[in-house]
Amino acid sequence: MTADAGGVPAAAGRASSGLWASAWRRLMRDRVAFASLVILMCYLALVAASAAGFVVRDWSREVGVSYAPPAFMGPGAPPAPAAAPAATGGPNEADGASSAIADPLAEALAEIRRQLASAPTPEPKAGTLVFGGDKWGRDVLAKVIKGTETSLLVGLIAAALAVLLGTLFGALAGYRGGWIDDFFNWFYSVFTSIPYLLLVLAIAAVLNQKGILTVILILGLTGWTGVFRLVRAEYLKHKVREYVLAADAIGVSDARRMFVHILPNVSHVVLVQLSLHVVLFIKSEVILSFLGFGVGVDAVSWGSMLNEAQNELIIGKWWQLAAATGAMAVLVTAFSLFTDALRDALDPRLK
Amino acid sequence: MLAYSVRRLWQFIPTLLGVVLLVFVVFNWIGGDPAYILAGKIANPEQIENIRRQLGVDQPYHVQLWIFIQQVATGDFGASWATNEKVSDIFTTRLGPSLTVLVPMLLVGTVLAMAAAMLVAFVRGSLTDRAIMIGCTVGQSISILVYILVFQYVLAYRFGWFPVQGWGSDVAENLLRYSALPIIVGVVVSLAPDIRLYRSYFLDEINQDYVRTARAKGMSEARVMWVHVLRNAAIPVLTHVMIQLPGLLAGAFLIERFFSIPGIGREVILAVERSDFPVIKAVTIYVAMATMVLNLLADLLYRAVDPRVQLK
Amino acid sequence: MNPAPESGNLLEVRDLTVDFRLDAATTLRALKGVSFDIPARGTVALVGESGSGKSVTALAMLGLLPGTHATVLPGSRVVYRGRNLLELAPRDMRRLRGVEISMVFQEPMSSLNPVFTVGFQLREVLTRHLGLTGRQARARAIELMHEVGIPDPQARVDAYPFQLSGGQQQRVMIAMAIACEPRLLIADEPTTALDVTVERQILKMIASLQERRRMAMLFITHDLALVAEIADHAVVMRAGEIREQGSVRQIFETPRDSYTRALLACRPPLAHRPRRLPVIDDFLGGQVIAADAPERPRGVRGEAEIVLEARHLSKSFQLGKGLFGKAEFRAVKDASFRLARGRTLGVVGESGSGKTTMALTLARLYPATGGAVLFNGRDLSSLPPGAGLQYKRRIQIVFQNPYASLNPRFTAGELLAEPARIHGIGADEQACRAIAIEMLGKVGLPASAFSKYPHEFSGGQRQRIAIARCLTMKPDVLICDEAVSALDVSVQAQLLNLLQDLQDEYRMSYVFISHDLAVVRYMADEVMVMNQGEIVEIGDADELYASPRHPYTRQLLAAMPRGLIDPAFDEFRNARAGAGQAE
Repeated sequence: MTADAGGVPAAAGRASSGLWASAWRRLMRDRVAFASLVILMCYLALVAASAAGFVVRDWSREVGVSYAPPAFMGPGAPPAPAAAPAATGGPNEADGASSAIADPLAEALAEIRRQLASAPTPEPKAGTLVFGGDKWGRDVLAKVIKGTETSLLVGLIAAALAVLLGTLFGALAGYRGGWIDDFFNWFYSVFTSIPYLLLVLAIAAVLNQKGILTVILILGLTGWTGVFRLVRAEYLKHKVREYVLAADAIGVSDARRMFVHILPNVSHVVLVQLSLHVVLFIKSEVILSFLGFGVGVDAVSWGSMLNEAQNELIIGKWWQLAAATGAMAVLVTAFSLFTDALRDALDPRLK
Repeated sequence: MLAYSVRRLWQFIPTLLGVVLLVFVVFNWIGGDPAYILAGKIANPEQIENIRRQLGVDQPYHVQLWIFIQQVATGDFGASWATNEKVSDIFTTRLGPSLTVLVPMLLVGTVLAMAAAMLVAFVRGSLTDRAIMIGCTVGQSISILVYILVFQYVLAYRFGWFPVQGWGSDVAENLLRYSALPIIVGVVVSLAPDIRLYRSYFLDEINQDYVRTARAKGMSEARVMWVHVLRNAAIPVLTHVMIQLPGLLAGAFLIERFFSIPGIGREVILAVERSDFPVIKAVTIYVAMATMVLNLLADLLYRAVDPRVQLK
Repeated sequence: MNPAPESGNLLEVRDLTVDFRLDAATTLRALKGVSFDIPARGTVALVGESGSGKSVTALAMLGLLPGTHATVLPGSRVVYRGRNLLELAPRDMRRLRGVEISMVFQEPMSSLNPVFTVGFQLREVLTRHLGLTGRQARARAIELMHEVGIPDPQARVDAYPFQLSGGQQQRVMIAMAIACEPRLLIADEPTTALDVTVERQILKMIASLQERRRMAMLFITHDLALVAEIADHAVVMRAGEIREQGSVRQIFETPRDSYTRALLACRPPLAHRPRRLPVIDDFLGGQVIAADAPERPRGVRGEAEIVLEARHLSKSFQLGKGLFGKAEFRAVKDASFRLARGRTLGVVGESGSGKTTMALTLARLYPATGGAVLFNGRDLSSLPPGAGLQYKRRIQIVFQNPYASLNPRFTAGELLAEPARIHGIGADEQACRAIAIEMLGKVGLPASAFSKYPHEFSGGQRQRIAIARCLTMKPDVLICDEAVSALDVSVQAQLLNLLQDLQDEYRMSYVFISHDLAVVRYMADEVMVMNQGEIVEIGDADELYASPRHPYTRQLLAAMPRGLIDPAFDEFRNARAGAGQAE
């Protein structure tokens, strides 16, 4: 038999050279990607600890004076009387129609005031906290960490759900074609005719319950459209590639062709989409919580922190805004940089 | 082209029906009886009963659906549960302000983003490129809420360069005085993601063979970028802008709400906060229709801009 | 400035060395000190296989290498009219490009800007370099298009590139290149992507242009037969080095370098059919090939056992058109032929002839629109659904593109074990693995290839894996759809030898499809010529090549580049024609 002139290249010491292995190697060589990954791991560890209750379990305890400034600033002036009304003249009250609609938080605040007034003063409150305190003296640092838990949980789970749906629908539509494709395309055009945030808000308005699970379901069940379009396009492209024809020629079944042959070639696109959607959903959750449609009053999110910050800014208390923004910026930046590096590492053209 | 447009318009119908169905499922089926929501908001129980009767809450679902379809067909969604203003009136009065902010924001934002992306693509690989890209990444990681709050606080409240919020009655005054800060905020927020995206479009084009040919013909680097590459990259940019459009229509709602601009977006937010179903339903349907029309326009525009596209 | 010398060198390349940075860790030396001359008149051919560095040389000469990845090392010189082009200021270089030295590329479709008309791109050169006004430029553009042979230039000047055929697009590229009367035209594989008949026309046109304008040309190609026909001097490259250079006559008649000799010998000869094609290793090892190697007999002999038959096979595609209409595109119209056991049916045709569609329909990857395919006498379309699988393994197919026909995520072992598993050839996982390794050996790959991924193999090796994959099922019929067309000449020879060895061992029948007439003639017993979906002629291989009957076949054979290699072929043809007439 004729031997090949080139010979199989000697791969001394390299166990496997599949896509993932070489992508991982390339990723690790990139310093920015490595740093981002480390940051993400720290956040995840924090979230795990917080969810398990090891840290910040008592974030809602009022440990400081009202609006305690951050430690480096030193204690501020003695606080204004505790009975100050909650709603100051913030920038969102110019309509004049608010008197007809009750403030959803009014009851909760009234209750808090009553309890504050009636409860004995057990221990002196701290004058300053690490990142400062909010209006009720709750530790901003603790709130930020708890908020991270909310955001990451929502982001990761909702993204996983959306990507799962989008990939499944996209694979079926792209590979099968025919009326299945027509049906999913119709479904897709219905969902995308409505701007995403509007759809999410509309559903949130209807559902009477708040909470992390609701947010995850809303975001996940409506956010599959982007992934669907991409995966469908990939399947259309790969369906006519020769390696799929070859699989047909040797007798591979349709299902196996879809999920064992084509899917691994599409998985790098899906992974990048997953990462992008985590970021998208974290940002959406913040907006939802800000507007009062996210997590309930007894949970904390960066969004609700920003909501409180609205009123605080006017009176010059900026630390809750800074803390929430900072934590979110670091997380999202790290995620985005990591996603970029991941995309480059997985780019088949660079082979 | 006419045949194509007709065929596309024909395809609107199943999609519109789908949207109607979706809205119905969400509001009538999942939402169900609005009495519990309105109980805390409308003092008059007779009013609530009126609303329930209009909706046909006690009737079987297919009757309710028929009522809704009739509303869509006639364009009469009844009155807002909160203000009792006719929903159709709400639209006609709110569209103007929304556009006054949106159109300049879109134009200025796109031109700036394209110019910046092009310059960055020109110096690709350099330190400037990396620095700007990382800047964009960081910029994108800050919530739009923060931008609005901070810009409003610093530029309007503290420095007093712009009014904190408000709206006038004269178009010119609105455009120059009240829209200025909202437009700035909107442009700044959209810059980071757009620069990144457009930069990738430009880089895709720079690596094409026809660029090599242009250089081989002795064309200057400036001509290669500004004539050859730009013309090709403009196509995906245009597509992207057209796709953004419907989202913006209802999506500038945060900006409108904070700056008290009486536009559609702010109506939506208020309606959502007040559980004002008729308004939300109507907005959703109208925006969906606008989206479909805009998509068709986008495709036609695409055909005009890219000679390779054959309308099928 | 002195006028260009009538004799002497127009351009001299000295010690050109180029490095490519592949990633942070690896650098590849693409050119290792290349030196050659281009005289002021005539054509120099730069010949080599893929990866030899010929395109890199041309791009380096014009300063068109991507600056971020490629470095031209100091010490390299490209001397043109007394100046080293590599040290020229960018502005001066730009004034030179397109005016004194022009370049034409391989893929005209992607080399033209898709959103500008052809006229715009032509006028650009005229207005910016020659300073013509818009109207003057348009008139001159039309003249140029006429000169390069584009029909109806008045209308075509406002056409977009996608509205022109491949040949016309290339003519436009050439018009752009000669617009400013350059002294040197660099053509990088200008006709490789075109059909053989179009190629012939374009080469003729370029030759007459050269004559009229006294223009020198550097012609880059991998096709030795072309070199013999059009070039005066040849430079043979391999792996970034020059192996041999000299006049074409000298290189073809008395090649000194072993690689050159190997290249010349690897092409399937037209006058005879050696049992085995020589391969590069034979030459580089220093062996001398015997001039009278044993012949392999081929030809139609009227055997009784017909393994595959097509009867009035047709395949059409539906395309939407207009508001509600549908247009039908008939890719294959009424094809009928028979294939005997152990024989090879060669199929030739240009692009669009329908040969690939027919191959896919035969392999039943497309459902036939009409007619029937009979295997061992059984009509395959009337099979009960369950029986389809056992017939799938009897007819297998090898595709053209070695980079697309293997799933990039499967190892070679997985690719080979899968068919064994599906058809139950191996009793268990162990057995399937053993079969995979056995097949790897049969196609000349080591057992270690089992756990490697496709991207770790060369093009030729990937085709071997594709063949091995088919072999696991021991098919009766193997359809080779341009299976060797994407490979270099030397690798091609190896694969043709492999295919013939396998045919001897397993008595497989081949349907061998190719646009390369020489290869088909070498491999086939019977040859079928297709044009626009129809079979225009079918007959014994030697007879068809010696005395083609259909005018299209004659046109096709006349366009085949033959060069200096086979003066014996004409003798052979005349002899056969004489014998044919006598019968």
